[in-house]
Parts: sequence; C-alpha cells; structure tokens
Amino acid sequence: MTDTAFLQPDEQGLADRFMSEGFVTRAADDRAGLDRIQRRAAELAADYLRLPHANDPYDLLETIHSRVTPDKLNGLRMHVIGGLNAEPWLRPTYFRLARSTIEAIVGNELCMQRRVNLSIQLPADDSSLLATHSDVWSGDSPFEVVVWVPLVDVFRTKSMFLLPPQLNGEMQDRMASLRSAEELYKTIKPHLVWIDIPYGHVMVFNQTLMHGNRVNEEKGTRWSMNCRFKSIMSPYADKRFGEFFEPISLRPATRIGMRYKLPGGFNG
Amino acid sequence: MAERSGHRGYIGARPLNGSRTPQHVQNIVIRDYARRKNLQYLLSAVEHIMPGSYMILEDLLDELPRLNGLICYSIFMLPPDERRRREIYDRVLREGCDLHAAVEEIAIASKDDIGAVEDILLVNKYATIL
Repeated sequence: MTDTAFLQPDEQGLADRFMSEGFVTRAADDRAGLDRIQRRAAELAADYLRLPHANDPYDLLETIHSRVTPDKLNGLRMHVIGGLNAEPWLRPTYFRLARSTIEAIVGNELCMQRRVNLSIQLPADDSSLLATHSDVWSGDSPFEVVVWVPLVDVFRTKSMFLLPPQLNGEMQDRMASLRSAEELYKTIKPHLVWIDIPYGHVMVFNQTLMHGNRVNEEKGTRWSMNCRFKSIMSPYADKRFGEFFEPISLRPATRIGMRYKLPGGFNG
Repeated sequence: MAERSGHRGYIGARPLNGSRTPQHVQNIVIRDYARRKNLQYLLSAVEHIMPGSYMILEDLLDELPRLNGLICYSIFMLPPDERRRREIYDRVLREGCDLHAAVEEIAIASKDDIGAVEDILLVNKYATIL
C-alpha cells in the first residue's frame, strides 16, 4: 500500500468490484448470528405447520415444499417474517452479517429499513415471482444498497438475477418502448447474471440495476432475506426517513452539527 | 384453464392528486378493503415512479387469467387517457375478472359499472379543490 492512499487495499478492491459487477458476496461477518436467524426462521415455520422444531433447520427450510402448498405459502411467509421482525435482536444481527461490506460501500453513518423482508420460492411455483425491476422505480433512493441473505444455498434459478452495470443504462434507455416488465425481462435475458451464493455468505448489491427472479427450477426451496441500507444524510425518495428507514449509527459529530447554532444578536 | 385465485393489489409510488401515501399504508387500505369485501388479497405490485409508466399494470393485466381480479389503491392510479382506461376495463371484464378501487370503494364488475367510475375521473379532471 502506498502512503498516498486513503483507503485500505481490501476496501478499495471491494469498492471496485461493487462498481464493476454491481454486487459483492462475502462470508458473513457474524456466522453465529446468521445461524441464529436461520434457526429462528425454521422454528417459526415449524410452529406454523404444527411440526416439532427440527434438529437440522437447513433441511427443514430447503424441503419446506414437501409440507406446504403454494396457496398456503404467503400465510407461512407472513408468520415467519412477522416472528423474526418481532425479535429485538434481528435487525442488529442482520446488520452485523454484512457490517464491514456495508461500511466500505455505503459509509459508517447509516440508516436501515425498519422491517427486514423474506422471500420463499418453492420449486416450480410461479405465484411469488418478482418481475424485473430496479428498486428505484418503485420509490427507493438511488443512494441505497440491498443486503441480501440466503438461508439456504442458492444457485441458478433458485437465486436472483442482476443486469451488469455496463448494460443497465442502455437497457433503461429502451424501456419506454416496451409494454410490460415481462417484455423487459425478455429483452435483457441474454445479458443477465445469476448469482450463486452458498449458505454462510451474504450479498450487497446495487439496487439501481435491473434484477428479479424467475420460477425456481431447482430441487430445493429458496429462502432469502433482504433489507436496505443507506447513508443517513444522502437523499431520500418515496421510502422516507422515519416511516421506512430509521437511523442505526448516527455519530456524535452529526448530532452536534444538527443542534449547533451560531452566536446571534449582532447589530453591526 | 389454470385455476383462478384471489385479487392482486396494485399500489403506486407516484403522488395521486398531489398527495403522497406511503406504500405500506396503501397496502393496509387494500388489505382492509379485501377483508371487508371478502376477497382473497394477493401481495401488491408497485407501479413505477416514472411519470406515464404503466408497465406493472400491463403485467397484472397479463396475469388476469390466473386471478379473480385487481384491487387498485385508488381509481386515480389508472392512466389519464380515457381510451386506454376503457381498454383496461374491457380486458378485465373479458377475462371474467373485476376491478376494485379501495379508497373510493368502487368496483367494475360489469359494463354497467363503468359510467360511475368515469364520472369520478371526469369530475376530478375539471373540479377545483380548495
């Protein structure tokens, strides 16, 4: 490292990868925390399905399609994510899974989405798909990133796709001539990257890039969680501070700055 | 033909009539409407924030053969162009579905229902709000 660099080489490498590929995947900073989330998700799923708590939470989650039908899936999903979000340790733990990456990509004065989301995709189920989109198109700020955490191994159609940054602008320019998000998917399909992530790893991705999922054609059920982070002082869009985001690391200098008033009463 | 199930919610990120409603509140309104009308609510799709884009609505119209209908947060989310709206009504009815608007508590389940919806939209276009 030269003594003229402000960032450590690993931070700079992470930033370069994020800019060029639109995402980074890394081993969870807090593996025990990830296992705790996975275990609690499996317990909540078992409770909903009136099953005993499993010794192997991974297996219960990945084979849940043998115990639940697509028409009952949303009830299960709501029960599990409601239960997880009710745990006071969930959000601090979720943040710790990717803290070093978030701080390298976004900064260290952060706000976090108030509710962590959960997706469950049964094999061959077309009822819970996420059409091709950028989060910005539905009211997120372009200053946000998504921390995406699989609770099982994800690969190919069991994972999600992302359009590389080099092509995103060109495809956005063609959007207005397309009728639907499905047409958009067909247009970008040859260029998409499907992101393989083993359990134990987390992904931080650029949500301004087009992304989504398709029918899970693999054998196991996908379980993944997602949550948005942004720098507190960066611009907000329709997902507002307070109602959607809340601060998690407001630093003393900012607190002081926000309350500071210059001396007044001068008459000269 | 595939079995039909439920009513898909349709919410937006653009202001309506100059007012903004948080998306989670839009979903609460739709969910409450569905409960009171005894409709099976399916997770909402969010229309684009870009002015004039109805790509998500088009996806929902393509999904109609698998649905019983749609529940918009508000009737004012429909395209401003009357001809385009009438194409949407025709398509919904042709597919054997219905179209609800939760805020206005109004529904189009037959051709006879279209006039009342269009009256609301027309008056809104010309009437002034103090």
